[in-house]
Amino acid sequence: MSIKIALAGNPNSGKTTLFNGLTGSNQYVGNWPGVTVEKKEGRMKWDKEATLVDLPGIYSLSPYTLEEVVARNVLLGERPDAIINIVDGTNLERNLYLTTQILELGIPVVMAINMMDLVEKEGDKINTERLGKALGCKVVEISALKGTGVQEAAQAAIAAAKEKGGQRPIHKYEDKIETALNQIEARIGRSVSETEKRFYAVKLFERDSKIADSMTQIPNVEDIVSAVEAAMDDDAESIITGQRYAYIEKVIKDSYTKKRKTAMSTSDKIDRIVTNRILGLPIFAAVMFLVYYISMVTVGAALTDWVNGPLFEETILPGLADFFKTAGVAGWLSGLVIDGIVAGVGAVLGFVPQMLVLFICLAILEGCGYMARVAFVMDRVFRKFGLSGKSFIPMLVGVGCGVPAVMASRTIEADRDRKMTIMTTTFIPCGAKMPIVALIAGAIFDGNPWVTTSVYFVGVAAIVVSGIILKKTKMFAGDPAPFVMELPAYHIPTFGFVMRSMWERGWSFIKKAGTIILLSTIVVWFLSSFSFQGGLHMLDDVLEQNTSILASLGNLLAWIFIPLGFGTWQATVAALTGLVAKENVVGAFGILYGFAEVAEDGAEYWGQLAAAFTPAAGYAFLVFNLLCAPCFAAMGAIKREMNNTRWFWFAIGYQCVFAYLVALCVNQFWIFFAGGGFGIGTAAAMVIFVGFLYLLFRPAKEEKLPVHSRIGGAA
Amino acid sequence: MPLTMAPAGETRRIIRVGGNQDVRRHLENLGFVAGSNITLISQISGNVIVNVKESRVAISKEMANKIVV
Repeated sequence: MSIKIALAGNPNSGKTTLFNGLTGSNQYVGNWPGVTVEKKEGRMKWDKEATLVDLPGIYSLSPYTLEEVVARNVLLGERPDAIINIVDGTNLERNLYLTTQILELGIPVVMAINMMDLVEKEGDKINTERLGKALGCKVVEISALKGTGVQEAAQAAIAAAKEKGGQRPIHKYEDKIETALNQIEARIGRSVSETEKRFYAVKLFERDSKIADSMTQIPNVEDIVSAVEAAMDDDAESIITGQRYAYIEKVIKDSYTKKRKTAMSTSDKIDRIVTNRILGLPIFAAVMFLVYYISMVTVGAALTDWVNGPLFEETILPGLADFFKTAGVAGWLSGLVIDGIVAGVGAVLGFVPQMLVLFICLAILEGCGYMARVAFVMDRVFRKFGLSGKSFIPMLVGVGCGVPAVMASRTIEADRDRKMTIMTTTFIPCGAKMPIVALIAGAIFDGNPWVTTSVYFVGVAAIVVSGIILKKTKMFAGDPAPFVMELPAYHIPTFGFVMRSMWERGWSFIKKAGTIILLSTIVVWFLSSFSFQGGLHMLDDVLEQNTSILASLGNLLAWIFIPLGFGTWQATVAALTGLVAKENVVGAFGILYGFAEVAEDGAEYWGQLAAAFTPAAGYAFLVFNLLCAPCFAAMGAIKREMNNTRWFWFAIGYQCVFAYLVALCVNQFWIFFAGGGFGIGTAAAMVIFVGFLYLLFRPAKEEKLPVHSRIGGAA
Repeated sequence: MPLTMAPAGETRRIIRVGGNQDVRRHLENLGFVAGSNITLISQISGNVIVNVKESRVAISKEMANKIVV
């Protein structure tokens, strides 16, 4: 007999840790249908027949946030056989608020009081027996972190589920409200089973806007509700909220013995320093620099160099080449495998060690609770251009690589803020774009260091400008989601949490490298190694590239870039290969100018490039490559994180059009101010520029949006 | 007085939670109900961190202004 158990609880109550403890490695991770809220399911360790569904972390069963709606739909729609309600023992009052609502569902509940070790350390006592009796459910003391009591909780839940006995909640409200609720229950009729009636009655009393969706027939109870409202001089929902808290206070008084506490806990004291108005930003900057330094410069870079150099170029590639030679494999096949697949996928996999180190750092910051404070410290700055405080993390990551940057946007719960962060974060020049910068700076600008510095300014400016422009469009309209975020107490993250978090993020990237990137490298290899000219045939030499299919394609599309100043087929092909991976641009130019092997900054053909590009065109080319759609890997990440094809194309389209227009303005204005005279191009640039100014300074569209909680930390 | 003006470190009682319906509901669910004790921990250009019902919650200036203590 298969049974279904749901795990519910507040964010930051240790839900994820308990879920992992209950299911071990038998997990399935996905998204709830239609939304980007993560869905986790797993088989219970102690009973393989029992499925455990991890509900999103929620504070109540009201319909105001996406997470709440998702959790409610599961509880009402799928009706699990039992619910494990995890409760943070150090924060009993607030956590029990959700418990009283869950109990009303009429589903057997096992309450697991977590962090009991911390409660005892504080010198507090919870009388679980009395608490269970008062609330009418089984209560188990656990420590999810240490694994104590977890098995007991699981077995209690399985036993409760097998009994199949739903029960009515035993907690009572004030008489006046009890009478009203009983009247409503009488009107609900038979469409709802006896045990569930209390939940629906309370929701109808609260005038819950979404409850009608899960009822076949909706009784009119307005007269009962307004009578109580008039008598108590408050709106129905606030009455219920107040009653719940009053009830909880009573329960806690009977079962919770609290030692007198000092006014400020350790976490409070840390917060006074870390979120201090003067020290907050410098501390944050120092922490971020340290993360960047460890993952991108020292440890991470060393590991990546090792994978790219000794492992791939010196061991795997020559090894494969030897193997193919001795095995007598056809030339085209070894070309495909070595030049195409291994080189292409290898270049991407080379980022993995760097990313894993970065993910470890981020997991530590998340696990200890600092990440939630970062959002708080940065929020006021980022709010000015429509982003959330949490957007800073992806942007910092973006300096290294756009793929983990886009993935890091996950920590932003507010849908709008996350989408905007995903769209803008790849404007930051990533590591793979730096060779392009070095090439243009070296070949056209005499190695002027300001070129390198300026690209970071261009990236940041693009984010700010895009933020302001997008904020004023209909899609992103309305006041930014009000900032409400629970800050978990500081604690030392467990090794298991850090490793799991790192691996979950890293694995999704490795998987992608094995699919989308693998496929795209095969296509690009084919396009650049075969030619249509004189019948379809394979090119013998890379230097024949100018007859390849890719080159033909370049010729076909080159006209697009004429207003930008680089309408040659070589530049077009280079930009196209840049869409696959930005590292390709320098190498592609080299091949197109007749060099098979070039240095990382392409020093061999600087002369030819300088002849082909004016300074204006060179900088425009640079700007276009910086801002246009990122590499395939990052586009894949955008598609995954957007979880919506329409939004994916909007993001890519926006980036390309934005890059094109900015590059056009750069080229045309540069020519004009250098004394090149006024032409059609200058006029077009003027029009675009005025357009930008209009979009920047026009009044914003007003639209009210529902509150969306932004709950930080790793619950 | 609005929460943004309360002195740091002092425990006060919430008198009223204002603001539009959705914001208010959300704050109520988090424990911001009239009569609760609230302690201001820290403030950074209007955004505040408070202690309410044993938990630390960060809220923006706009919302903090609507909580009367």
